[in-house]
Amino acid sequence: MLEKKTKIYWLFILPGCIFLAVFMLIPLFTLIMQTFFNEAGSFSLTGYLSLLESTYFKQVFERSIRLSLISTLACAVLGFPTAYYISKYSKNKGMLMALAVFPMFTSPVIRSFSWMVILGKKGFVNKLLVDIGLVDKPLSLLYNEFSMVVGFIQLFLPLMILSLIGIMDNISEDLNLAAGNLGASKAKTFRYVVLPLSIPGLVTGSVLVFTGCLTAYTTPQLLGGTDTRVLATMIYQQAMSLGDWTQASVVAVIMIVVTMLVSSGINAVSRKLNPTL
Amino acid sequence: MALLELQKITAGYDNNVILKDLDFQVEKGELVSLLGSSGCGKTTTLRLIAGFSSPMDGKFIFNGQDYTRVPLNKRNFGFVFQSYALFPHMTVFDNVAFGLKMRKLPQDQIKKEVMEMLETVDLKGFENRFPKEMSGGQRQRVALARALVIKPDLLLLDEPLSNLDAKLRVKMRVEIRRLQQKFGFTAIYVTHDQEECFAISDKVAIMNHGVIEQMDTPSAIYNHPKTEFIAHFVGFENFLDLKKSETAGEYVAVDGSKITVAEPKEGDSFRACIRPEDIQIIPEGSQGVNPIQGEIAVSTFLGKRHQYNVRTAVGELEVSADQESVYQVGDKVTLSLAPNKIILL
Repeated sequence: MLEKKTKIYWLFILPGCIFLAVFMLIPLFTLIMQTFFNEAGSFSLTGYLSLLESTYFKQVFERSIRLSLISTLACAVLGFPTAYYISKYSKNKGMLMALAVFPMFTSPVIRSFSWMVILGKKGFVNKLLVDIGLVDKPLSLLYNEFSMVVGFIQLFLPLMILSLIGIMDNISEDLNLAAGNLGASKAKTFRYVVLPLSIPGLVTGSVLVFTGCLTAYTTPQLLGGTDTRVLATMIYQQAMSLGDWTQASVVAVIMIVVTMLVSSGINAVSRKLNPTL
Repeated sequence: MALLELQKITAGYDNNVILKDLDFQVEKGELVSLLGSSGCGKTTTLRLIAGFSSPMDGKFIFNGQDYTRVPLNKRNFGFVFQSYALFPHMTVFDNVAFGLKMRKLPQDQIKKEVMEMLETVDLKGFENRFPKEMSGGQRQRVALARALVIKPDLLLLDEPLSNLDAKLRVKMRVEIRRLQQKFGFTAIYVTHDQEECFAISDKVAIMNHGVIEQMDTPSAIYNHPKTEFIAHFVGFENFLDLKKSETAGEYVAVDGSKITVAEPKEGDSFRACIRPEDIQIIPEGSQGVNPIQGEIAVSTFLGKRHQYNVRTAVGELEVSADQESVYQVGDKVTLSLAPNKIILL
């Protein structure tokens, strides 16, 4: 009787599974397979080899990883205190959480355009810097790696904050009191109790932010310049501008592999910091 | 002088006052229990002493020093939480060693003291386990070891046994008492379990609505409650109003019947109480001390004993009788109230 019931429940996930299989798994598999064959249809690794030899790809690859890591780190540093405050000290938690996720209600396109207004030559930041005499002429804050990182942080910080709050809410206040009672200062309580116990949230947040940054297209396209291409924009360039679908596919596969490697890397580091995970 | 003294402590949050002008003293080496139902302020008192919260008003003197504003990590008090509050990401060893690490003791001394303490609480061989790999009783002992290893000036226990099953609870309370007597530390123990509290404590402070109604030895509280609340709490079910008569030691109940009391008090009118087992049922009309006429209203079989609710002119009285003679509802009986068991409040 019970067995029959559990079998029937499998039907519930069937529509989702079919959808994913038809529109994701099969295309993805075809895409991956394509990259291992040349135009003549025989097995070859030329797609990968030629790409790995190209200095341009190496530059783009290195930039993608670097900017994603910087943005992830920045989100962690900015998001941690914010999440900690919202979770433990705020009286108006719902309101603050709504504010934290508020940027997600607008599209990345609009947000990127807003940054153009703020960071442009005649933008708010440059005007302020010139007015208070910190610089003589406006800085180029736009269409470079700086503006891209700023865009990424604003785009993905809410994900980090939400992941952290989810975990921090489950840290019992008694643990902080216990640490204090045993002689730990506030700083040491943070170092030995709050930080290690928040690591699961930090991991989820970091994986989300990192993969988000690595795969984001609009933000680097709008806020980056022609000499600051990343993997996502490179795929577009290869496929749409150059018509080289094979090369684009190879880049896409590499992107998937990198995302998976970095995610498991972050997991490994976190397990070292908190062995009970 | 008392080791610990709370002077006119008022505490609470926002507009909700939980403790009002509370005075409380503990002597060195004593185990004092704070007993009361939930919401009576016992945990608030304990957390205040630990430094988890500060009072709105009043003073906390410890060992002759004003501790009211001393931060919690500078107090050197051990605290055993109801939830144990073991650090889930640390092994048993690291949990117990935490307080010593914060005190910056040398590594080898930490190791020695932690291992000794684990042996004392019978957890040798468990040092590399994580809390989630242990049973409730074992976690409880880790929590105890963690609080004791720092050699606290005061040990605070917040309902430490409430998450254990009945058998383990009895075992652990003997264990706590043994450790307390072995190390001779001063302890404050919060509980809502009367039996547990009487078994373990040198003194018991019964709290009600943010005040201590009575603080005394367990036997004094059990035999000589001072207020109606306490009397109720320790099993006095029958209350009657008495007025003084001309004869010394004799009082008059509301219906005019004369009641002799073994321990008379100064004053004119009293609320008196007596336990159900201290009232005897004698056949109607027979002679006895402090006789009161009545009629059985309810009869309840309790196994070893029989409980009767008897309707009388002084109100309904609860009587617990042995099985020798059984009465039916409606039977006319005479009750005899033992004079040495009647307590004047």
